[in-house]
Amino acid sequence: MSSTLKIEGLRAEVAGKEVLRGFDLEMSSGEVHVIMGPNGSGKSTLAHVLTGHPGYKVLAGSVKLDGIELLELSPTERARHGLLLALQQPMEVPGVRPYDLLHAAGASEVNLHERMVEEANKVELRPEVLERFVNVDLSGGERKRAEMVQLGILQPKFAVLDEIDSGLDVDALGAVARRLQLATKEWNCGVLAITHFRRLLQELTPTKIHVVSEGRVVATGGPELSEILERDGYEPFRAQSA
Amino acid sequence: MKTFADSATSFIASQSDAASRQGAFNAFEATGLPTTTDEVWRYAPLSELSLDKFSITSSPSNHTDSSFAIDLTKSAGLVIRVVDGYCVNIGDLPKGVHAESVESSTSLSGQSLTLRYESDTFAQLNAALAPSTTVIRIDAGVHVEQPIIVLNATSAQSSFSRTQIELAKGSSATIVEYFEGGENALVVPLSEYSIGENASLQLITYQRLNATAWHVARTTGLIQRDGRLRQAVIGIGGYYNRSRNDAEFLGTGAENELRTTFLGSGKQVHDFRTRQFHKVGRSRSTLLSKGAVADESRSVYTGVIEIEKGAKRTDARQTNHNLLLSPHAHADSVPNLDIRENDVMCAHASSVGPLDELQRWYLESRGVSRPDAERLMIQGFFNEMLTTLPKELAQLVEQDVTSVLSQVNVVTP
Repeated sequence: MSSTLKIEGLRAEVAGKEVLRGFDLEMSSGEVHVIMGPNGSGKSTLAHVLTGHPGYKVLAGSVKLDGIELLELSPTERARHGLLLALQQPMEVPGVRPYDLLHAAGASEVNLHERMVEEANKVELRPEVLERFVNVDLSGGERKRAEMVQLGILQPKFAVLDEIDSGLDVDALGAVARRLQLATKEWNCGVLAITHFRRLLQELTPTKIHVVSEGRVVATGGPELSEILERDGYEPFRAQSA
Repeated sequence: MKTFADSATSFIASQSDAASRQGAFNAFEATGLPTTTDEVWRYAPLSELSLDKFSITSSPSNHTDSSFAIDLTKSAGLVIRVVDGYCVNIGDLPKGVHAESVESSTSLSGQSLTLRYESDTFAQLNAALAPSTTVIRIDAGVHVEQPIIVLNATSAQSSFSRTQIELAKGSSATIVEYFEGGENALVVPLSEYSIGENASLQLITYQRLNATAWHVARTTGLIQRDGRLRQAVIGIGGYYNRSRNDAEFLGTGAENELRTTFLGSGKQVHDFRTRQFHKVGRSRSTLLSKGAVADESRSVYTGVIEIEKGAKRTDARQTNHNLLLSPHAHADSVPNLDIRENDVMCAHASSVGPLDELQRWYLESRGVSRPDAERLMIQGFFNEMLTTLPKELAQLVEQDVTSVLSQVNVVTP
């Protein structure tokens, strides 16, 4: 079954400053879309707005998952409709165990522990780490691998990854990217990856790349776009948006 | 109607060591009950306390253990039952462990109780009115594998229990002091722990009294060279729950890790006090106090780290976090430092606030509902305090706390 995520004319502000200024994007299940852009272009704001982070205010626009308006839903309902955000800095939740989180998030308890171990193995995470409280005393790499365990269990229709590659060493980055690539096959997961860096794309094949500047998409293309970015930087795209 | 004093006097007269008890009771009467003008009692609802509601029982009443108490004893190596302050049963003693009920008016510090607790009205009451002292001793070098459980129940109108635990050199044990019952009762336990050289005691004080009880408890750890006391104090029950937990560091390398936790609901008042008294150098204390207040409950945490002149390279840390689960609940945090030596490491931190909004959002963004997210976080707040407990015990307490928490009303501000 194929799903569609459609973002139209999205405008949002954070701390009184408009950061997203008419953002459009459409993607389907199984696709990998990559959003690239300089600091302050609105990339992270997009990820947070999609999942209803309390610090962001939506001014206009729409985000529809299979025709259902997500912006009217609570963060919980958005997740239950199939949207999952993996964070740049996965949050520590002291005292809460990953198992209990996943169970409360709707994961079936049938073989849950075994499935978590299996998912941990897929991203080369020591399963003992999952006995600790959510993200507490985990290294940067372990946290992001642990986010992939959640992804594997919850199997969202669309996964939004906010700079999941930042602060990762090459091994961890490879493990995360391979897991995402596999997810597009395993349950036809759509992946929307926000990144600064091209290196994520070495293991994760993008369907499309979107260049973002000043809160909107200014260019969309195939993998060749990343090569242009590598060579010329974001400057030409900035000019284009002006 | 008999007054509290009449009842106490006739109880004391019937005891073999009436003279020293009467001395303690006289000391109590000379001071009388504290008032809220006294700084250390300013948060207590003392105007509601009338001692004449409580009489002193001359024998233990019948008490039926709760299902939790029964579960608790299942994995125990030794169970000691105390009812209304009377030691009613001591189970089979493991090798190297001694337990008995003795007549004593002496503190483990060597001083008389009356002198030791000169400025503590309620401790004087305990010195006068505790039927006996339950003493547990662990021989040198003995490692007691399974936990020792002291089931402390109150069925009468009042209960004054006294426990003294002594670990000889190089020994180790895990001991649980569990309190239940106490409907409309005054419960005044006094416990002392002596940790010998290089001995290690893991102690859990779990207070699950009836929500109508007045509970005024005091514990003191006396820690010798390289001795270690890891103490977890969990306070759930009581109308007024006062829990004072002190540690004295008597030898270099002495160590105390204290974790105190409380959950307030209804109109409860939780009043936690700590004193880490570093008399010698290279001793270490880590104190973490965490509590949550719901409904119209209140809490106060007051802790002092005291470092004696010459106690060089002492390392003392004190942290207090309070969670507000209702706009009508209130928490105060009063950390104090009294340091008379320069060459020390000392830190304290405290916070009071509602559940973390971003942590909650993180859970919600995984598909967890808001009530479930809040429940998980509050449970987590307590679970974090139980991590140092032996696994089986931690699971049992965690389940029990979870069942209590499921009844608590959370109002997000």
